[in-house]
Amino acid sequence: MPARHPIRGDVLALQPEASARFWRLYGQLWAHGVLDHGIKEVARLRNARITDCGY
Amino acid sequence: MSWLPATAGGATPLDRVFGLRPDLYEPFRAFYAVFWSDRLLEPVVLELARLRVAQLLRCESEQQVRYAPALDAGLTEEQIARLPDWPRDSAFTDAQRAALAFAEQFVLDPHGIDDDCRDAVIDHLERPGLVALCEALALFDGFCRFRTILGVEAPGAVQTVPAPAAAMSLA
Repeated sequence: MPARHPIRGDVLALQPEASARFWRLYGQLWAHGVLDHGIKEVARLRNARITDCGY
Repeated sequence: MSWLPATAGGATPLDRVFGLRPDLYEPFRAFYAVFWSDRLLEPVVLELARLRVAQLLRCESEQQVRYAPALDAGLTEEQIARLPDWPRDSAFTDAQRAALAFAEQFVLDPHGIDDDCRDAVIDHLERPGLVALCEALALFDGFCRFRTILGVEAPGAVQTVPAPAAAMSLA
């Protein structure tokens, strides 16, 4: 049995339409744009560290 | 006027800034609108949470906006004026108070949201409501910062606008 995504599969599933629209925005943010992936990833990880978000 | 040297076209200050990235602005509007179109939260609770986040982050452009569904549901300018004192003000319902306590802690320190704070939201809004509130707060918090940093111009006076919609400008 495939593992469920811990956010998509459980928490966000409580609001499926909002979840679908969020993932469309988030996917667009990562798949396209003027910033390279390295900058986006560094910013994401730094933000997670500052807010002490282990996920 | 934003400090950005070049802006996009559009009817609102946010259009002219966020419109520089139309590939992101369109799905953002679709995501933002769902909180109103699908009524994921009661409109007054949603509006109070949005305005309280804007107050805490001193985001003038967000504070000047009122979404009509909340006013139609009974929210008044008098209650909005009393929002900073909500813990000591009986004008706010228990559900509104639970959401506001959660919203304030979300902005100030999410690790400070304890079981009581979380469970109070669940008691009034149920678990899907808690998830919707977290998503809405993430949008409000993030885009108050976006507006502030990019200098999205604030209207000169409070303006009431229709509920956000994917195909419409955002105030």
